[in-house]
Amino acid sequence: MIDLKGIDHKYGSNTVLGIESLTLKPGTITGLVGPNGSGKSTLLRILALLERPDNGEISIDGTPIVTSAQRRRSRRGITLVEQRPFLFAGDVRSNMAYGLQRRRIDKGEAEKRILESLETLGITHLLERRVKALSEGERQQVAIARAVSLEPDILLLDEPTSAADRRATNVIYTALESQRSKGVTICFASHELENAYRFSNNLLSLAHGRIVPTTPENIFRVDLPNGHGSKTVQLNELSIQVVTEKEGPATIAISPDDFLVSTEPFQSSARNQFPGRVTSLSDDGHDRVTLVVNAGPEFVVRLTPTAVKDLSISLGSEVFLSVKAVAVRVH
Amino acid sequence: MDFFSEGLKRGAELALSGNPDVIAATLLSFRVAVVSTIVACAIGIPVGFYIGTNQFFGKRAALTLLNTMLAFPTVVVGLIIWGLLTRSGPLGGLGLLYTWWAIVLAEIVLAAPVAAALTAAAVQGIDPRVRRTAMTLGAGFFRTHWTVAREARYALLAAVVVAFGRVLAEVGAAMIVGGNIRSHTRTLTTAVTLATSQGDFALAMAFGFVLIALALTVNVLLQLFQGRGDD
Repeated sequence: MIDLKGIDHKYGSNTVLGIESLTLKPGTITGLVGPNGSGKSTLLRILALLERPDNGEISIDGTPIVTSAQRRRSRRGITLVEQRPFLFAGDVRSNMAYGLQRRRIDKGEAEKRILESLETLGITHLLERRVKALSEGERQQVAIARAVSLEPDILLLDEPTSAADRRATNVIYTALESQRSKGVTICFASHELENAYRFSNNLLSLAHGRIVPTTPENIFRVDLPNGHGSKTVQLNELSIQVVTEKEGPATIAISPDDFLVSTEPFQSSARNQFPGRVTSLSDDGHDRVTLVVNAGPEFVVRLTPTAVKDLSISLGSEVFLSVKAVAVRVH
Repeated sequence: MDFFSEGLKRGAELALSGNPDVIAATLLSFRVAVVSTIVACAIGIPVGFYIGTNQFFGKRAALTLLNTMLAFPTVVVGLIIWGLLTRSGPLGGLGLLYTWWAIVLAEIVLAAPVAAALTAAAVQGIDPRVRRTAMTLGAGFFRTHWTVAREARYALLAAVVVAFGRVLAEVGAAMIVGGNIRSHTRTLTTAVTLATSQGDFALAMAFGFVLIALALTVNVLLQLFQGRGDD
């Protein structure tokens, strides 16, 4: 278990992190979300004991980590996989062996761990490959396998699937789930809210270096009925049309940009149309206005300022939201 | 033109003929260059490493000082060392003046800043992820630095070669503290100076050819090393 208390960190005069209190518990996966520059990577480097905060206390299993020797010793139990992980010149095998050698793991055990972790990530075929010949996605997978092979107590990952396709993404998160089930404390940063929501037990949102209440945009847990193709799911009192082959518990997500907004109902191909009232309206200053529309459940909707002006939308306006069934993503 | 081409021809013949003066100066130059480069790099590389990888008060001043020392006039360094080693100087009791050790000492003073400045530049250019990756994978202090050095190995090797080149080509300090004594402290460069002042262009060229051959050999070895280790 790792605890942060009163962490304050600056680059020059710019405060990049201000965390009052944060605890990561064993056997949990914490998803860290937030826009670029919100402090996710800095927080991960501080958790990994690679960067020393200007102020604050870091404790591991209740013991404050103060001295350099303590930091060095504690790092043996923590591994960070960076967003663009660095692989040392040479081949995949020598990279995999690096950390195991530092821990004086005997050769037979090291070889076993290398093969097992590569297999977990589905990349055993890369074992003898030169680092130079790897794609960005493969590098990321090798770096994750390299971290997993060390069997750390705390595994930290910065955007672990930023270069992965859908299949690789699933493999990576399955591997993380398997680590979690062994009691490893996992924390990953992701700009993909859906992934963070799907694969973590605990979602943490950062803005300007501070933890803020998480408001996942239009992500809902639903029960999918059996059958093929077009289905109707219930969201509170609202019926939503989705297209999926999946059945049972699932997560649906609608991008705030996929809604059409009108002030009157209209005929269209969109299978979903619901009336609602604008409960919040904020201009982000970058030609986008974010509305929260209460249509039973609340939906976050993004429009251009021109659209808001043309439709005369203001706080309390009655509007109609339309969204195509195929735009409702099912996970 | 005849004078020039004849001189070159005779110089080449002399260089290849096993002339005892050429052999003695070559061996001494090589010995001085190797010993000075080893000691200068043993001092300069760790200093450059420290400056390049750490943030501390006065870092810019340290880098400016190093860069100034790169352009330090060699005769001035020779003069200072001469002042220290001369019989009435503070280190006069060591009796090192006009020995090859005095040349080594001067060359160390000249080459160590080269090694330090180039090392600092090399490690500053290394991706900061290298250090973080080594640390997060469990490397301690020395292993982390070793890993950074390994990633910077070609640039570090270049620092060694440039330091070696500086020592091999240096003449001013070697002349002042070595005294250019035949078969004793006469290096290839001081021999070129003497032969030229005596009007023996061919002999000067013979020494010159050997100097070029030495420099070329070291650079070819470097190229081979880089080619083999390129990954």
